[in-house]
Amino acid sequence: MRTLLVWMAGGLASAALTPVALANGWNMPVGVTALSRDIYSLHMIIFWICVIIGVIVFGAMFYSLFRYRHSKGAKAATFHEHTSVEVIWTAIPLLILVGMAVPATATLKNMYDTSEADLDVMVTGQQWRWRYEYLGEDVAFTSNLGTPREQIDGTGEKGEHYLLEVDKPLVLPVGQKVRLLLTSDDVIHSWWVPDLAVKQDAIPGFVNENWVRIEEPGIYRGQCAELCGKDHAFMPVVVEAVEQERFDEWLAERQQAAEEEASSADREWSMDELMARGEQTYGAVCASCHQADGQGAGNFPALAGNEAMLEDIDWHIDRVVNGVSGTAMASFRNTLSAVEIAAVVTYERNAWGNDSGDSVQPSEIAEQLAEQGE
Amino acid sequence: MWQAIKSVLAAFLGVQKDSRRREDFASNRPGIFIAAGLLVGLVFVVLVALVAVLAAR
Amino acid sequence: MAFHLPPKPTPQHSTATAGGVAEPGHAKPHWLMRWLLTTNHKEIGSLYLIFSLTMFFIGGIFALVVRAELFQPGLQLVRPEFFNQMTTMHGLIMVFGAIMPAFVGLANWMVPLQIGAPDMALPRLNNFSFWLLPVAFGLLLSTLLMPGGGPNFGWTFYAPLSTTYAPPSTTFFILSLHIAGISSILGAINIIATILNLRAPGMRMMDMPLFVWTWLITAFLLIAVMPVLAGVITMMLMDINFGTSFFNAAGGGDPVLFQHLFWFFGHPEVYIMILPAFGIVSAIIPTFSRKRLFGYASMVYATAAIALLSFLVWAHHMFVVGLPLVAELFFMYTTMLIAVPTGVKIFNWVATMFRGSISFEPPMLFALAFVVQFTVGGFSGLMLAISPADFQYHDTYFVVAHFHYVLVPGALFAILAGAYYWLPKWTGHYPHLRLSQWHFWLSVIGVNLTFFPMHFSGLAGMPRRIPDYALQFADFNMAASLGAFLFGASQLLFVLVIIKCVRGGEKAPAKAWEGAEDLEWSVPSPAPLHTFETPPEFHPDRH
Repeated sequence: MRTLLVWMAGGLASAALTPVALANGWNMPVGVTALSRDIYSLHMIIFWICVIIGVIVFGAMFYSLFRYRHSKGAKAATFHEHTSVEVIWTAIPLLILVGMAVPATATLKNMYDTSEADLDVMVTGQQWRWRYEYLGEDVAFTSNLGTPREQIDGTGEKGEHYLLEVDKPLVLPVGQKVRLLLTSDDVIHSWWVPDLAVKQDAIPGFVNENWVRIEEPGIYRGQCAELCGKDHAFMPVVVEAVEQERFDEWLAERQQAAEEEASSADREWSMDELMARGEQTYGAVCASCHQADGQGAGNFPALAGNEAMLEDIDWHIDRVVNGVSGTAMASFRNTLSAVEIAAVVTYERNAWGNDSGDSVQPSEIAEQLAEQGE
Repeated sequence: MWQAIKSVLAAFLGVQKDSRRREDFASNRPGIFIAAGLLVGLVFVVLVALVAVLAAR
Repeated sequence: MAFHLPPKPTPQHSTATAGGVAEPGHAKPHWLMRWLLTTNHKEIGSLYLIFSLTMFFIGGIFALVVRAELFQPGLQLVRPEFFNQMTTMHGLIMVFGAIMPAFVGLANWMVPLQIGAPDMALPRLNNFSFWLLPVAFGLLLSTLLMPGGGPNFGWTFYAPLSTTYAPPSTTFFILSLHIAGISSILGAINIIATILNLRAPGMRMMDMPLFVWTWLITAFLLIAVMPVLAGVITMMLMDINFGTSFFNAAGGGDPVLFQHLFWFFGHPEVYIMILPAFGIVSAIIPTFSRKRLFGYASMVYATAAIALLSFLVWAHHMFVVGLPLVAELFFMYTTMLIAVPTGVKIFNWVATMFRGSISFEPPMLFALAFVVQFTVGGFSGLMLAISPADFQYHDTYFVVAHFHYVLVPGALFAILAGAYYWLPKWTGHYPHLRLSQWHFWLSVIGVNLTFFPMHFSGLAGMPRRIPDYALQFADFNMAASLGAFLFGASQLLFVLVIIKCVRGGEKAPAKAWEGAEDLEWSVPSPAPLHTFETPPEFHPDRH
């Protein structure tokens, strides 16, 4: 008897918790696109169907448990089949499912319609960052985790958007149909922003498509959803949706900055400039594997005191530009600019007591890249 | 064969009368049920695929 | 450690048993050799169960490492590299080392007893398939000590993370999975041979208890899909060591092919871990409702339908990899249809209880909790089947909540229910009632506190397999971690119950439960080492 009371109390408690569960932060976000709202309503419909079936089934079960207790002298009946009842309780779920499949199919077809996009953005997953390229606009950049290491290690106070902040967000115009083309340079990643209801795997060697039309300006945060190695938790997605004019301005700024970066490769860089830029690039791109102190970790080799690297600068540059196939060392040919490659190579050859005194100019790298590209 | 197909259909639904399954198991010819199962399974796959193709249009 | 050892074999058995350990006048072997060389289904069953309990605790400790790290945001205890090894090993150990061997152990013990057979059909093979397991899992666990660490790519080991980017120990992981797979296939062959050939005279297929039926179907599933797993890990082996490019896009391969192959194995594998649980629950609920199982024939047919459908739904694990629209629709429809035969089972259990005469012994408590909690897992499964919504659920803690509800308060609770149900038969004593009840209630509270909040954190946007998370998920994770430690600790009570039960306790008669019907209750408790040397009389109209 007491057993039963506890069971029923548990049932009531979970029923009472349901409204709490539907409050914000406990449920799927409604989101800011027409599709995300469709998905949300599918989610809520199927949720309530489950709740209703649950109440009926568990209700019947607990009624039986309570009503037909052996300790109260219940005598067991002897029936053990009833075909028409069985047919009914098979047919009803079947009908519910058909009823569910119809709107789900319509929503899915809408999700798959990537035609007639206003803007194409190529999204490339890399261990462990996202690279965005505005196709046909000559704008491309890499988006790294913005949360400082101290916050993760617990030596600093965690900020409001801990682990969900990046250095450069993906900026998209509101009201426009943006087609996302997703791929990966290494392992499978998955680009996900809950508020946009977009989750799509980024698979090496394949290009997946998805699309989004954001309705409200704002900042929308998400994460990589597919296990992609050790820093899987540390490659967030941040989308900043802005009005069309603001977006055009931003795009023009980025185009200008890209031009400046390209032209700055031609001039002579001082050692201090290269070291400063190199440290910044190393921290954003290299440190997650080779560590901030250049000591490496696990399968990732140490760079501090790395003789093969210090002996031969061309070998060093080749590794950075082309990567090492069959390992986690990616090719940074398309990810980093000539300036960044020159700076990071110079930095690695002079930091942490390497002190080789070697440096390489961005112009030399640009030349090599151009040669190899032919 | 028709009996076997009816039984397999019942299996797909997950509902079968005790008397019917007694008949099924009295026949002692499993081959015909396996054949019916494969056939209905195939028809099922084709049917769902067809619905999917039509719905995707 | 061991279950109560049945009485020594007596000479008369030598003629009747195919695989008995004793010959007349034969000296009793040293205890180590006895367990190493035993061909007795009860002893091998006990070995399987002890092995799986050990693995359950090892996998559980890994899970607790994960939960301890996730207790609050930030990296506190372990580095992400090690965290990934823990999640991976937890999954592999629990799936292949705990749940599957536990069911095989129960099958070894109970299938011959339930069909009135003297032993398994292939006793030496039986011994071999058990002893492969410690080898496989010893090898797997040893990878944690290797340079570069153990497997760190999740239990689903998606390529190319598990090939090009994997630690050097991956080859050992592949070998250990091969060995475990061989063990499963041999076990399945043995169970099929036993069920088809050694039933008591007069017992037709449709007279078999449901546990036997579900295991028969499970065994066929095992034979069908384990070779697929072997194939896919061999392709990985070739990619890693021999320069092929099955899954390497740079060499013309296809990473998505890996997922198709893996889930063609993986989805039936999920049913391999739940169908025997259906069988156990279908034995326990009628016993403690003192009423025949409602819709026995429907149950058998529904099991067959679920098994068949399990081959047609694999890509619902891959809704966001970019399948063509038609494939997406096909797999959504087939997946939704699985809810129908599964629903039939749940309705039948409820209808069995309706107008029964119900009592609440520990096996019944676990079986009832199974029905409720498995259904919760089934509901979230139904939600996950809706492909558009799955774009939001996929790879989040909602999925983690879903499959843990099916496997822990589902499959594991059924195994515990089975253990409590058959412990009197194994040891001759009833399990300690108070302790069993404590074990049950603490487990129920712990398991729900662990896994229910995961639904919320998943919906709110927390991805799977991350060692650190954003601040809005902190409360859910703290609750889950507390629940996990409660659940883990309460399993120690189970060990205590078993030890006490082996040592003594209230004596159980042959028919230990008033409403129990099947053949195993016609042999004495504890079951002697050799049973049914002369086939029992079977009365077909029990079912």
